[in-house]
Amino acid sequence: MAHPQSAPTEEKAQATELKTVGQPVQRIDGWEKVTGAAKFADDLDFGPGLLHAFIIDSPHAHARIKGIDTRAAEKVRGVVKVVTGKDFPFRFGLYMKDRHVFAQESVRFVGEQVAAVIATDPKTAQRAAGLVKVDYEELEPILDPVKAFEQTSDLVHPDLGSYTHVPWFFPKAKTNVAHWRKIRKGRIEKGFAEADFVLEDSYRVPRYAHCAIEPHVAIGLFDASSRLTLWTASQSPYTQRHVMAEALSQLGLKHKDVRVVTPYVGGGFGGKAGVTMEILAAALATAVKGQPVKIMWSRAQEFRNTYMRLGLVNKIKLGVKKDGTITALKHTLYWDAGAYVEYAANVVNAVGLSSTGPYKVDNVEIDSICVYTNLSPGGPYRGFGYSEFFFGLESHMSKAAEKLGMDPVEFRRKNAIRENDTLPYGAEMNPNGLLEAIDKTAAAVEWGKKEESKDPNKAIGKSVVCFWKAPAMPPNASSSAFLKFNEDGSINILASGMEIGQGFLTAMAQIASEVLSVPVSQIRVETPDTDRNPYEWQTVASHVTWSCGNAVKKAALDAKEQILDLVVRALNLPKESLFLEDACVKSWARPGWQLPLKDFVISGIQVEDYTFKGGPIMGRGTFLPEFSSAISDPETGQGGHPNVHYTTVAGGVVIELDKETGKIKVLKAVLAVDVGQAINPSMIKGQITGGMLQGLATVLYEDMRYDEKGVLLNPSFSDYKIPTALDVPAEVIPIIVETAQPDGPFGARGMGEHTMIPAAAMIANAVHAATGLRINSMPLTAEKIALALKDKAKGS
Amino acid sequence: MKKIAIEFKLNGTQRQVEVEPSDTLLEALRERVGAKSPKCGCDRGDCGTCTVSFNGKTVRSCLVLAVEADGAEIVTLEGISKEPSKLQKEFAQRNAFQCGFCAPGIVMSATELLGKKKKPTREEIQEAIAGNLCRCTGYTPIVEAIEAAANGGK
Amino acid sequence: MPITCEFEYHKPKTLPEALKLLTDKGSCVLAGGTDLLVWMKEGLRAPKTVVDIKGIAGMGGFTLSASALRIGACVTFSELIESDVVRKKLPMLWECSRTVASVGVRNRATLAGNICSAVPSLDSAPALLVYDAVVEVRGPKATRKVPVAEWFTGVKRTALKPGELVTAVIIPLTKKKAGSCYVKLGRYRGEDLAQVGVAVLALADNEYRVAFCAVGPVPTRAKKIEALLSGKELDDALIAQAKELVPQEISPITDIRSSKEYRLHMARVMLARGLKAACARLAGDAPATGDNLV
Repeated sequence: MAHPQSAPTEEKAQATELKTVGQPVQRIDGWEKVTGAAKFADDLDFGPGLLHAFIIDSPHAHARIKGIDTRAAEKVRGVVKVVTGKDFPFRFGLYMKDRHVFAQESVRFVGEQVAAVIATDPKTAQRAAGLVKVDYEELEPILDPVKAFEQTSDLVHPDLGSYTHVPWFFPKAKTNVAHWRKIRKGRIEKGFAEADFVLEDSYRVPRYAHCAIEPHVAIGLFDASSRLTLWTASQSPYTQRHVMAEALSQLGLKHKDVRVVTPYVGGGFGGKAGVTMEILAAALATAVKGQPVKIMWSRAQEFRNTYMRLGLVNKIKLGVKKDGTITALKHTLYWDAGAYVEYAANVVNAVGLSSTGPYKVDNVEIDSICVYTNLSPGGPYRGFGYSEFFFGLESHMSKAAEKLGMDPVEFRRKNAIRENDTLPYGAEMNPNGLLEAIDKTAAAVEWGKKEESKDPNKAIGKSVVCFWKAPAMPPNASSSAFLKFNEDGSINILASGMEIGQGFLTAMAQIASEVLSVPVSQIRVETPDTDRNPYEWQTVASHVTWSCGNAVKKAALDAKEQILDLVVRALNLPKESLFLEDACVKSWARPGWQLPLKDFVISGIQVEDYTFKGGPIMGRGTFLPEFSSAISDPETGQGGHPNVHYTTVAGGVVIELDKETGKIKVLKAVLAVDVGQAINPSMIKGQITGGMLQGLATVLYEDMRYDEKGVLLNPSFSDYKIPTALDVPAEVIPIIVETAQPDGPFGARGMGEHTMIPAAAMIANAVHAATGLRINSMPLTAEKIALALKDKAKGS
Repeated sequence: MKKIAIEFKLNGTQRQVEVEPSDTLLEALRERVGAKSPKCGCDRGDCGTCTVSFNGKTVRSCLVLAVEADGAEIVTLEGISKEPSKLQKEFAQRNAFQCGFCAPGIVMSATELLGKKKKPTREEIQEAIAGNLCRCTGYTPIVEAIEAAANGGK
Repeated sequence: MPITCEFEYHKPKTLPEALKLLTDKGSCVLAGGTDLLVWMKEGLRAPKTVVDIKGIAGMGGFTLSASALRIGACVTFSELIESDVVRKKLPMLWECSRTVASVGVRNRATLAGNICSAVPSLDSAPALLVYDAVVEVRGPKATRKVPVAEWFTGVKRTALKPGELVTAVIIPLTKKKAGSCYVKLGRYRGEDLAQVGVAVLALADNEYRVAFCAVGPVPTRAKKIEALLSGKELDDALIAQAKELVPQEISPITDIRSSKEYRLHMARVMLARGLKAACARLAGDAPATGDNLV
């Protein structure tokens, strides 16, 4: 299957004269957000009939449910209904159906939903929930992924062998292995035999929480006519509709009967992709037909029962020659994917395909193993597994350079993957600006220039790392858009990508504006309602600018075609002479003539006999990457084309480290990302500044801490510390590299997730540069560094 | 529980509502009088997105009982000014916010700061909004917008 | 997360009225509410009666006399920070107040509430300890004054008896020239609960007072360190000796926020930095009060 490598001439021609694309235009949702007008799911009103549900969840990481007594709760005044797992014996899941709406015979993580109380107000629901008695028989929890991998009894999912899943997953029945992605390329033994040095080490990454400031919330209404409507804070309205319609199909629901409405989302970061607690609102609505029912997660529930970033133990064995050539890479990754992996297994899969990093390696052996544990379900988190493995891989690359006595930037440049090089799974690498990104990052941190702190207690350290990431999605994930003109020539675009803060609405408006010459201020892009807006797979994987952008561009081109055809038909002008400018149709053939779009895009063009030609202009566009395929040899991973393209990036940092306290001050953080074509440089810089801080926090102080029974010890912002305005780097330098993506809208590719991926390795390598310390487990807290330095001082 | 009638001024308009003693001000504002700009992000005073002005000072409305607002003057983002303020303009023009969920709290905190201090230092700006968590922006564009509003102000 | 306990709310206008309400066993005092509301939401407190003391005349504001500053029970941390008197006469109280939570919380949270909550990490305690502050307590029968050194009796436990109400915190003012420093260890620069807090007050004639918080069940004065330092000029050798005594003064634990080892290590580092800074400030030198030393 050929990859679309060469840019169509049309793209190149346009790239030279872009007017709106590439401009730092003001966000079209800006005013709504600074005035408080923007409505989020929790802000919607449902009148006095609204019911509220409170979820009773498991206090145990692993237990058998012996019985549930709901009688006392049912008697409380104001309680409408109490439901348990037996009311909803339905399975669901995105890539693998391993979950139930409510726990059935057993619970598999602390926080798992066991029962719900529906009442007329939230306080009554919560009080009554305290009266529901659940009788548990505690079982031994499995918390460590490496131990769980080896375990063959007391499994998290004894019935794993019977679960349905996508064809590119390979679960191992009678084990805790839910998926095992293998890549075999070249001859690994030969590669290590050719090496002058072989370096082995292992790295450990804990779990992390997304911490969008808006908690998950969902309101469900199953009306008297049996139509189900959900209002959710979600990145995935269509995927939610699909998963819910499938899960509740036994109730006779068709997809057309399920409607998902998603207003603004208060931060996603992957945490609001797929379906988590929203399934509860759907199910509970069916239990109280005719009345809307609302569920809102508390902050503690956010930490316990949504998707979490997966934990990882990865083992790396790298062979290098004295001249710096990488000869072989063996990378084994044990993922703590949690109690249900219906989404997480695809994180594991995506990493399996790409965990060589952006390097040309001829001999590769990758085992990316998705292991069930008795912790909260893993799932998508900005970076989709790449942040996790790059901590180890990029630490390891710097170690290798050190071992060789080679400059680590030079080592990376030497091995950096180039266009048309063979990827780990056999396809070819797309055009990219990786070397430019590395060079610009090195220049920005003044690589090679020795710096010393004025404070004798402190040391300066620098680093440069590089990485890549591809969108992780099914090969046939698609996008679509409708574009409608209004009487005044303004435009409404209907698409189902989500505005999760990244600026999706504005980017789509800019793309349509570029094609149709209508100013961005005259374009609205609507948030999704599956009854109204056409299909979008999900807003994840940093792929909507590329995928939905293509759909919007096609819709705009479709509208443009209709406009030009109409002008040809009504006014008899040669089509090839026509073009759009300043929201008018103009013609090379008739200088000075122009026809404003507003004059005819709804009512048509009046012709000589006073009749009208035309009618409302409505564009339609769809996009599906027709070259992509996920099917390959299960033992080698060779043969498919699972990734549509890679975005390549370099990052660097300058830190000042206090050797007594272990505290790190980030003086400078740099990220150079090859976005193909910047649609909106202001929003790209915003992504870099924000994502960089989110990444730095994961390495400096954040992490989820569990006790030996699998209970989360820090389910609040008091002890899960996310950065404040006082914790920002002194300087963030965003660098935009533009090597066009041939099949991207105007050459664009995604970059939202990439902004946080390098942070851990950047800091780890800079700490090493400053102190000589190598710490192989995240986070690198001040405490860990200070105590390690103290130990080192004692030892020396 | 017996409800208590309270009266307060919200964004310049006198409002009378009945609340339970255990209702928070945040619940009363959102559910009883439809002021939806203060949001519930953590419900324990950590995130700041419920920030409102209470008798001229910003408070966490999730940590104030509604009954405490009897006789008080409350201002939410909806009521800070009739026309968009210089600060709001800077926030919008600089694409300072992304998802916007923290915006109501941050605009309130920044408005309080600029009311107290005409030309705050960067450190003072960071300190003033340090109690308002934002997961999207990395804060720098927000801090720069506040700085610009202060420098453009009289 | 609503408050699910049910209670009556009272806002008395006089002290006797308040004290009468507080005789009820299920009663509790509401001032800033920034701890109380969280505890009620989390089910850690379920009062039957909430007594809001903000309507009582005389509970707010400062009273300055020649020998002391009286801080009313309803004075918030923001009011402490904005007070010129506090900044000039009690700079460490100003410095530590700025490290408490964040603006929106400090606009409500009170100093008296902070010492009544009595969590081991409370930032105000080390300053109050070195300033020899006194807690003014009004009971049903009489007013009594409790030295802060005797106030904290355990984790979240104080010398306050049922039915009593803190009416003020009184801080004696020294005529001696002084330099002071509160050093706080958090996991980052933003709002955090102290993992170690060290207060150093350096007075003219080489008198030193030192106190710690977050490294034991109650905040404490470091009397052995004070005795060692007393009358001596501060130098590196003396600081090293003082650091050696730290383990005798504190009893840190390992918790989610920090390990015992790191707390001990940092208590030493922060003591050294705090001593140097306090002495530098006494001499009129940098670092400025409020500068972050860790």
